[in-house]
Amino acid sequence: MAEVEARTNTLGRMIAPTEAYPGLMRQILRRFMRHRLAVAGAIIIIVQFLAAIFAPVLATHDPLQVNPIERFKPPLSEGHLLGTDELGRDVLSRLLYAGRVSLTVGFAAMFVTIVLGSLIGVVSAYYGGWVDTVLMRITDIFLSFPTIYLLLVLASFVRPSVISIMLIIGATAWMEVARIVRSQFLTLKTLDFVTAARALGASDGRIMLRELLPNGMAPIIVAATLNVATAILAESYISFLGAGIQPPNASWGGMLNNAQDFFSRAPWLAIIPGVAITLSVLSFNFVGDGLRDALDPRQRIR
Amino acid sequence: MSDYKRMLERVGQKELNRRRLLKGAGGIGLGAAAGAFPRGLRLRGARAQEGGEVIVGMSQETINYNPLLYANTGIDTVPEVLMFDSLLKILPDGTFAPNLAAEVPTVENGGISPDGLTWTFKLRQGVTWHDGEPFTSRDVRFTWETVMNPDVAVRSRAGHDKIESLDTPDDHTVIIKLKEPFAPFIHVWTSGVTGVIPHHILSKEADINIAPFNTQSPIGTGPFKFVEHVGGDHLTVERNPNYHLGPAKLDRVIVKVVPELPVLYTQFKTGEIDVIDYQGIVPDRWEEAQTLPDRVVVGSPSNFVEFIYFNNARPFFQDKRVKQALYHAIDVDTIIDVIYYGVPRRTNSYLSPDHWAYNPDLPTYPFDLDRANALLDEAGWVRGDDGIRVKDGVRLSFTNSTTAGATNREATQQYIQQTWKEIGVEMTINNMPAAVVWGEYTIQSQFDTLLVAWDNPIPSDPDPTSRLHSTLIPAESGAGANYVQFKNAEADALMEQGVTETDQEKRKEIYYKLQEILADELPWLPIFNWTDPFGYKSNLVGYQVNPYSATNLGNVYEWYWQE
Amino acid sequence: MNWNYVVRRVLMMIPVLIGVSILGFSMMQLAPGGFTALYTLNPNTSAEDIERIKRAWGLDRPMHVQYLTWARRMLTGDWGNSFRGGANVRDLIVERIPATVQLMGTALAIAIILGFVIGALGAYRQYSIFDYLATTGALIALSIPTFWFGLMVIYIFAERLGWIPSGGSESLRAGETGFLDRLHHLVAPALVLALVLTAQWSRYFRSAFLEVIHQDYIRTAHAKGLPSGLVLRRHALRNALLPLIALAGMQLPVLFGGALVTESVFGWAGMGRLFLDALTFRDFPVVMAMLMVTSFLVILGNLIADIALSIIDPRIRFN
Repeated sequence: MAEVEARTNTLGRMIAPTEAYPGLMRQILRRFMRHRLAVAGAIIIIVQFLAAIFAPVLATHDPLQVNPIERFKPPLSEGHLLGTDELGRDVLSRLLYAGRVSLTVGFAAMFVTIVLGSLIGVVSAYYGGWVDTVLMRITDIFLSFPTIYLLLVLASFVRPSVISIMLIIGATAWMEVARIVRSQFLTLKTLDFVTAARALGASDGRIMLRELLPNGMAPIIVAATLNVATAILAESYISFLGAGIQPPNASWGGMLNNAQDFFSRAPWLAIIPGVAITLSVLSFNFVGDGLRDALDPRQRIR
Repeated sequence: MSDYKRMLERVGQKELNRRRLLKGAGGIGLGAAAGAFPRGLRLRGARAQEGGEVIVGMSQETINYNPLLYANTGIDTVPEVLMFDSLLKILPDGTFAPNLAAEVPTVENGGISPDGLTWTFKLRQGVTWHDGEPFTSRDVRFTWETVMNPDVAVRSRAGHDKIESLDTPDDHTVIIKLKEPFAPFIHVWTSGVTGVIPHHILSKEADINIAPFNTQSPIGTGPFKFVEHVGGDHLTVERNPNYHLGPAKLDRVIVKVVPELPVLYTQFKTGEIDVIDYQGIVPDRWEEAQTLPDRVVVGSPSNFVEFIYFNNARPFFQDKRVKQALYHAIDVDTIIDVIYYGVPRRTNSYLSPDHWAYNPDLPTYPFDLDRANALLDEAGWVRGDDGIRVKDGVRLSFTNSTTAGATNREATQQYIQQTWKEIGVEMTINNMPAAVVWGEYTIQSQFDTLLVAWDNPIPSDPDPTSRLHSTLIPAESGAGANYVQFKNAEADALMEQGVTETDQEKRKEIYYKLQEILADELPWLPIFNWTDPFGYKSNLVGYQVNPYSATNLGNVYEWYWQE
Repeated sequence: MNWNYVVRRVLMMIPVLIGVSILGFSMMQLAPGGFTALYTLNPNTSAEDIERIKRAWGLDRPMHVQYLTWARRMLTGDWGNSFRGGANVRDLIVERIPATVQLMGTALAIAIILGFVIGALGAYRQYSIFDYLATTGALIALSIPTFWFGLMVIYIFAERLGWIPSGGSESLRAGETGFLDRLHHLVAPALVLALVLTAQWSRYFRSAFLEVIHQDYIRTAHAKGLPSGLVLRRHALRNALLPLIALAGMQLPVLFGGALVTESVFGWAGMGRLFLDALTFRDFPVVMAMLMVTSFLVILGNLIADIALSIIDPRIRFN
């Protein structure tokens, strides 16, 4: 989904090219804070993160403790705020620990995406010529697969683990970043203000920091944020299709994997993790949107 | 996608033995004898309705209609029995009836020579294929030749490879000479094992593996003719008016694919499907299903047994006390009652408890953590700092694998993991997609332990040779299916004796003894015997649970709607 | 239109498709497991049987030989045969096209119409409550996992309320089939698939309309005193519709991905389900063909998108 998103934005960017602004950070922050949903998203993300980090403290039960007698307790039951699952495990505790997995995968996959994409983008732009051609054709090849198809093919071939899943998601998402990075570098290389800064005797480091970074990084930061959202979604698809991480651990998607079997008996098993995923993905999307507006005010008319 | 995650959760499905029936809230133990109740429904002058259709719902798609080639026993067995025939039929009471053969060969009628080496099948006269061509002994010969043809991907040669020669002196006689006496040979010629294929069509094919016959234009001798297959959706067959056992009463049968089990059940409940077949009613709806009006549900006994498969070549599984301790630390009753809603039944052997060769006096391993701890102490495994037992520097830690995403299997694993941890054993779950875990990983015995269900190599016979004989370890010899790498000279001898002995009582003794050895050595841990939770509409007459067949649809041509 | 550009782009599809095929083929060959695992589970199949089955399907040959055989056959229009039953792969795929096109087409139509209305209203009444809700709603729609949304729809409307069938594409019982029956089955999956698309389209239409509204000639038109609705219709629409083709082209991967998930949740017998089944059973000829077909369509969609864009903005050609 982010693919089309990003490309739609590329469409938009063509119409409204970016410009450099002085006194950046404070302005960015002020503009970001004006975006109320983005702030709400940021708060939700922080809360989810804290919940994940302090899961051992917050969890009321051992998330792996199987207790057959206690199974299918509905939410708000005594001792089980969000009820229990088909093996009598506490849903709240599992949700907290599953959040660790989902968020880790989301961030790690984003990291893989950015590193891989930046590397390919920079190399492509820097060397140009046949290197550029080959790398961009490879990018085209990867972009030619519908993402879910590629994701499923890869996921069905490896042994499921947090690392393999994060690599798979990264491997199917780097293309957009590579293109953005490449075009940023190509554009920036020739821009007047860079030439001007250099003529004024600014060091490479200063040019990078003061001129290139703010200009070049904006789309990457936005892409990275949106990428976390996509990665969390992608992880839930993989888990739902039965190729998620190994039990007894679970991600939010993994919790959903079994839930549909118990729809009539325990709908909360399907509802709760789904809400967690949606909330998390939504927050990252809000923040990404807010960042885009804050970092690149001319791009959207709001 | 529960279809995918459940796919192959259970291996193949069914075959053979002594299933019991259940109706209403009877509970597993209260079923009537097999075959008893279809008649019970023909009561009170209800009038039979000619024609009509039956929609059978299944969670997997029928794909390959060539009875020799399909891989998915239990699923593709359904179109086989609808459209094809074998020489013999196996009835719900375990006896054989003639089908394409005119009579069941026995020693008394001269069909089997006294030494058990020569079998003569007299074929039924006047049988025609769906395209009008006559059925002859040439087709039977061609069927065997196809099974033995190295270029054709037939699923198994079991039994056929015991044949020395197959002669057809005339159009309606087949004489088979065996290399050595082989007690289960009669099963080879039943539906689900060897469906007879037409010589006049398939002999013209350059490559039978890709013949249109397999998927688009199957021609059989069976009670129904192929109409259409809509990929991913349904198969339709219509009555064959010339069927040699009498034309079917129903006009047509539709086999519908409903991949999601909860949806499959919902459609049974709402009446969108008339019969719910493989994989049946979701366990957690089993109780509710028994209260549905106008529906009959049956716990259809299967011969599949759920096992923990050990890789006995692993150092820590060399000592049988370790395996006995692990057995004592599995809470089988809770697994059956909680995870499977009481649908399956306990078994202490690789056979269903109803099997004629099942040894009822086997030692049992009740859930007893103290006993398990004691056994491990005795075997010299001492708890380390992390609570996991250690011996000679080796931690008692291993993996268990099954199909990734198989809900109930994974629940079972997690429960076993917990109880084993309590006796100081670390079991890590290492699940993989079906096509990976059951590939080289299983065949080459690369696993530590598996959670898997298996039936016997030859349906309806107790012979487990290919799964347990020491010369049949694929990792060593490339042959057989002894993935547990079990080596036991006494067991080898018993299995060799068992297949050449023809007297049933003597065979029983042999297999009783074999099961005693297995229950002590524990190459695997039998957990339970599967029961299939099936059902049908109560005004459908003729549905028959056949514990000896891979499907209950073997007699659809006798079914009819009562008004 | 620059035909040189178009021809170059079409020629560029060839190396990309070859790359796709090599990548797809190697992934499948190097991956553990295979379709014979299904036979392992058969009670009476032994290790020798499995070796024989592999040989019968030519899977014992070296990988590059298998690839070249496959490629040669593909070039002659022979897409190979399924490992499950040997059916012609092209027939298998062609059979599923109507179901998928029906689903995707309906969803796309719903999405474009709804997206147009929401986007136009949002742009016309920029910063209104409606605009705000629509923008936020679109983002929410983009954040919901499609499969989960599908499950919730089934839970509420099929399981609880019984308004829609719980799955499948038609009733099979004689006398119950027909157009209305199919429509009844189509509604829920099409709406679920349309959710994400609608979100994207409404966002697109909104910004496209805004873009146009803020252009000078519209302001001039306003200044001339033309009523807003007329301005929107007469001037904005035409210019906003041009990139529509571009977006539709670029949306193909999402459409395919969404269709795959929706089909599997609703038991819809389309191409996505075929692919999932083939993948589960490692039916590589079918997986390969599906990858090639979808890749081809995606590339084609992009090509159409780029051509459409190049008409709008000739500078793109040199990008």
